[in-house]
Amino acid sequence: MIKAENLTKSYGRHLAVDNISFSIEKGEVIGFLGPNGAGKSTTMNMMCGCLAPSEGRITINGIDIMDEPEETRKYVGYLPEQPPLYFEMTVTEYLKFVGELKRVPKKQIKEDIDRIVNLVKIADVKDRLIRNLSKGYKQRVGIAQALMGNPPILVLDEPSVGLDPKQIIEIRNLINELKKDHTLIISSHILPEISAVCDRVLIINKGNIVASDTPENLSKRLTGSNKVYLRIKGEESAVRDALSSVAGAEHISVSPCQEEEALDVTVEAEGDEDIREKVFFALSGGKLPLLQMRPMEMSLEDIFLNLTTVEENA
Amino acid sequence: MLAVLKKEFKTYFITPVGYIFMGLFLLIAGITFVTGNVFSMSEDYANGTLSGLILVFVLAIPLLTMRIYTEEQRQKTEQLLMTAPIPTWQVVLGKFLAASLLFGMTLLVTVIFPILLSFHGRMEWPVIIGSYIGFFLLGCAFTSIGVFVSSLTDSQASAAIITLFLVLITWMIDFISGYMPQSNLSGIIFALVLALFLGLMVYNSSRNLTVSGLVLLAGLLVTGAILLINKEVFTSLITKSLNWFSLTSRFYNFPRGILKLSDLVYYLSFCGFFIYLTSRKIEKKRWS
Ligand SMILES: Nc1ncnc2c1ncn2[C@@H]1O[C@H](COP(=O)(O)OP(=O)(O)OP(=O)(O)O)[C@@H](O)[C@H]1O
Ligand SMILES: [Mg+2]
Repeated sequence: MIKAENLTKSYGRHLAVDNISFSIEKGEVIGFLGPNGAGKSTTMNMMCGCLAPSEGRITINGIDIMDEPEETRKYVGYLPEQPPLYFEMTVTEYLKFVGELKRVPKKQIKEDIDRIVNLVKIADVKDRLIRNLSKGYKQRVGIAQALMGNPPILVLDEPSVGLDPKQIIEIRNLINELKKDHTLIISSHILPEISAVCDRVLIINKGNIVASDTPENLSKRLTGSNKVYLRIKGEESAVRDALSSVAGAEHISVSPCQEEEALDVTVEAEGDEDIREKVFFALSGGKLPLLQMRPMEMSLEDIFLNLTTVEENA
Repeated sequence: MLAVLKKEFKTYFITPVGYIFMGLFLLIAGITFVTGNVFSMSEDYANGTLSGLILVFVLAIPLLTMRIYTEEQRQKTEQLLMTAPIPTWQVVLGKFLAASLLFGMTLLVTVIFPILLSFHGRMEWPVIIGSYIGFFLLGCAFTSIGVFVSSLTDSQASAAIITLFLVLITWMIDFISGYMPQSNLSGIIFALVLALFLGLMVYNSSRNLTVSGLVLLAGLLVTGAILLINKEVFTSLITKSLNWFSLTSRFYNFPRGILKLSDLVYYLSFCGFFIYLTSRKIEKKRWS
């Protein structure tokens, strides 16, 4: 549905997006993940026709957005990094204006407002001045604006930035709701949010895509399931002795933990071998009580740090 | 376009700007009317009140246009307009028309004055109508300058001041042009400077050295050719050009009841040119 080919954007000398390509199918939910200044917003701005690419092109349904800007923009609803709100309008006035601006037929504007206001839960503030709304509500009005005219593609730049945990969950639910009949592109710093809602994650760093996969695959790819986390009661030397007797165990790292007399230990096995049983018997043989054991999966946070720091060293 | 027009027009009355503009304009119009026509028992409305009003809107137009694009930039609402499925020039046109509409409406209120006068004497209606049309067109031209300037900056104050400055200059061109050197030589130099300026402008927008070089060369050739064929053209060329360019000198045709098509076309293309410039300026942001 959306295709970016060799997309490049430079601001003067500064290269913000460096030759990236991706394609997004209808109905997919894509997450853009990356540290500050990675080029997420710049990429999104280009997808929405706000910025022209320095090189490369973007097509929506096969149409180059630079060739037919007015036509292709109809398909995209955009929530920019800073919601484009007119503070001196009320929510309803604002949404009506956006509808007219997007050339939505008059009758549909009214229906859209009624539907969207309930969907993003701003019905109770719809006659208030935008200026007086709280940050979270402003953000929702921004999302409502992107939904006007019911465009098939939604591009949301950090939809949950600056919201409290409860509202973040609400926005997540909203995105799950929108998923049903929209193609979604979301950027975020809040990693659990991306893994909770996205089918695929593009990790962007310094203008490059460093990884593109499902959240599950990404974490598998980077760790395999051979790392085990343990909490053991006992002395460090005894623990080390017991564990090093386990065949295949490598990279034993020990650190103190908040429980008294206990230690946090991670053990990495060679290859794909499951060493959990061996570890259990080795510890029980050494009379070291095992308080906790679980296989370690790298969280998206770890992946993120891993990938971006690897990039840094290169 | 209509959506933008409606929104801008409404904003004039949500923020106090619209009221301040109307109030200021009508107040001063009233004062000039009372002093120029009532006290002096003059029935010459066009020359008395209307001509005096030019200064007022030289001062008041910047008020109308200062926030028209600066606010979009400051509130970051620009992105909404830039991603809307309508071409940029229509957005600009909508904004321009909103300002012109407010200005036109205010002007229409002052029609009361000549109507009042008409009870006391014979009015020259063609002259008055002519003046009003001229007045409106002149205001539109000033507005288009203001819209352009507001797209250049994101501070309302600087937009207002620069607009005021530019409008004042166009207004004073009449006075200045008389003092310009009249000799052939000065005319030739003026033509050369013009050619150079044109070349630079082409270079600035296209970054193409060959094309701008050709433009410059063409300018020089034309100047040379005219010099050979008809030297007289250069006599007081500066004054002639300035007068042609002057918005206000054309304005004085209207009160004489002369509605020349060329003047109408001039004003409209003036507005069109600045609307075009503004759209270009905004389009250029996509390429920053
Ligand atoms: N208008 C601009 N002029 C010059 N440089 C810019 C401009 N906008 C962005 N940049 C630069 O381009 C790079 C990418 O910025 P971008 O806003 O796309 O990052 P981001 O991934 O959205 O970051 P964040 O997570 O902070 O929002 C940054 O280094 C930024 O400094
Ligand atoms: Mg960003």
